[in-house]
Amino acid sequence: MSKVDPAVEQAVDTLGLNPITRRRLLKGAGLTSATLAATALLAACGSDEPSGSTAAAAGAGDFPSTPKWKFVFVCHVTTNPFFTPTQYGAQDACALLNCEFQWTGSKEAVVAEMVNATNTAISAKADGIALAVVDENAFNAPVNQALDAGIPVVSYNADGAKDDPGTNRLAYIGQGLYDSGFQLGQRALASGLDSGDVVGFIATPGALNIQPRIDGASDAIKQSGKPLKFTSVGTNADVVKGQSIIDAYAQGHPNLAGMLAVDAGSTQSVGQVVQKYSMRDKGLKVAGGFDLVPQTLEAIKGGSLDYTIDQQPYLQGFLPVLYLYFYKLSGGLLFPSETNTGLLFVTKDNVDPYLQTKTRFEGSSTEQQVVPRSGAIAHA
Amino acid sequence: MSDTVEVAERVEAAPPGRTPRRILRRIGEEFLRRREASVLIVAVGLGIYFASAEPAFLTQPNLVNISRATAPTAIVAAGMVLVMVSGEIDLSVGAVYALAPFNMHYLIDYYSVPVIPAILLALLISAAIGFANGFITWVFKVPSFVTTLGTLNVVIGIVLVTSHAYPTSIPEPAVGAIQNWLGAADWSELTWCLLIVGFFHLVLTSTRWGLHTVAVGGNLLGATEAGIRAGRIKIGNFMVVATLGGFAGIMDAFRINTIDPNLGGGTGIMFAAVAAAVIGGTALAGGSGTVIGAFLGALVLAELQNGMNLIGISANPYFLILGAAILISMIANVYLSRLRRAGRT
Repeated sequence: MSKVDPAVEQAVDTLGLNPITRRRLLKGAGLTSATLAATALLAACGSDEPSGSTAAAAGAGDFPSTPKWKFVFVCHVTTNPFFTPTQYGAQDACALLNCEFQWTGSKEAVVAEMVNATNTAISAKADGIALAVVDENAFNAPVNQALDAGIPVVSYNADGAKDDPGTNRLAYIGQGLYDSGFQLGQRALASGLDSGDVVGFIATPGALNIQPRIDGASDAIKQSGKPLKFTSVGTNADVVKGQSIIDAYAQGHPNLAGMLAVDAGSTQSVGQVVQKYSMRDKGLKVAGGFDLVPQTLEAIKGGSLDYTIDQQPYLQGFLPVLYLYFYKLSGGLLFPSETNTGLLFVTKDNVDPYLQTKTRFEGSSTEQQVVPRSGAIAHA
Repeated sequence: MSDTVEVAERVEAAPPGRTPRRILRRIGEEFLRRREASVLIVAVGLGIYFASAEPAFLTQPNLVNISRATAPTAIVAAGMVLVMVSGEIDLSVGAVYALAPFNMHYLIDYYSVPVIPAILLALLISAAIGFANGFITWVFKVPSFVTTLGTLNVVIGIVLVTSHAYPTSIPEPAVGAIQNWLGAADWSELTWCLLIVGFFHLVLTSTRWGLHTVAVGGNLLGATEAGIRAGRIKIGNFMVVATLGGFAGIMDAFRINTIDPNLGGGTGIMFAAVAAAVIGGTALAGGSGTVIGAFLGALVLAELQNGMNLIGISANPYFLILGAAILISMIANVYLSRLRRAGRT
């Protein structure tokens, strides 16, 4: 698929064909020259020509023609692989709705840079803003300014502190963070954790995209009333540094009963450290964490981790675009709705499809594809 | 020191004619002779480019955005220029930048110190860290790169331990007038920045302290032989950069309305300040530099960051394009300075 000239793909996309016809057309033997084909296709559907003025562009699907609205995503760790599927989600929604998006913010969770990026989006008169609210106070003023300027704002992935969203955003699209941490702890208790020392690793303590999780995990364990001692340990946003911290902690505390982690990097490292020191044989009852990076999935398959929690980052990119689009399209009648993007436990029983398929939904592939599934859907 | 030589040359070279054209040319030459000229041209060029690419660039709210991205870097860079000119470097300033607002918060909220004295005390503590940097570097002869790498981590550790690595809000007594004066109001950061840059430009170019700073950085042995107390100069400059770092940190905390342990991104603001200084014409090896140039360097960085955000470049290609833009601007900068030097003969 990658050999096909992008111009051709774009042209074919405008035809609205079903996937098989589309693929056949793109791989078709008759297409000797990609550019020639693109020209022909573009001519065949003149009204859809992307280079045309806004008046000529038809709306997406049955929707009326709209300007190419531009939505700005402000992220706290723009280059973190966790957000790769989020960007694919936003990209796919934009392709569907004939919009565009910009992915910006800070590379290393510097709040001032995020505030600058938000203010710049307001100056640039963005059509909508999706914001990861990783600080309780800093984004209140920028969000109010955007709303004053008529720019709809939703939050995604992080939404202030446990009881205080920190901004007047219209809605939050992401995981209930405190709740997910609480579930992390409860699952550990249900998996046989009843006494001993439990450690919770957190890459960036205080950052509001993960701190509520560790608060939740800690509360779940404390509220159980079992003789458990919960300690939270800061690791590092840099996975390599974080891993050596977790390694050192494990060496110093060989009799841990439980190891939990609340971010992708720490979770992956917990899996590796558990395997390295065969901690399963030394009294470790439970190890679990968050997110779906490949090392974590392999650790689950191999048994060094018991479970990880999927929060569906793809939807955290797709849904904000959809909601902002509807808000614009309906003149504010369709108001963005609070969405919990999920709390899905991935365990040894259901890890296989994650390992075997590479998809845009997990960020492991750029290719658009239909993922087939069969058999019963697991339920309680 | 080279400035005095320049003045002498200028007097000799001054042609007797007074036609308007000649005066204009003279002004042009005078301008090009200034070390800051080339980076100013780059800054203006970038401004024109972004303004033509995106009309929102020159709107008032966006100029505020640019000023806010420029000011903290330029304030830290003003101090960094002094340290670099005296032949040292301070890697720890980004950590001091994050510590100062926390110290202010502790003093106000836990020790009931009034706001202004609390801010001054926080700056004093910053200066003390600068003193420690200078003292260890000068007395124990540890290279400043290593000294300040150590203090960088120590201070980051202090920030994380004392704050429990958790952000906090601006102390109640500071909210309102003081917060607005010190960073939160639209142009307040830029105003402070211009005052500080102006002041330290004068210090570097027109005072004995500045002269000694250049001398110590240019030729340490010669300067000490001539009776300059090099230790005092270096330690003093370390204290200046740390204090300015603390001040910029407090203003940035006021501006974003939160006190965050990751303020300035640890080394991020330090790298930006060193980059601004070097872009502005300060030598990494010491002995020469300009505070106004560093301000313009910070402006160039802020323009690039803001302008590219404005025209809608996403995060991944952003770094690619930012890097290329820095290289191209700086090649232009070096080329322009070569023209400048050629004009001098």
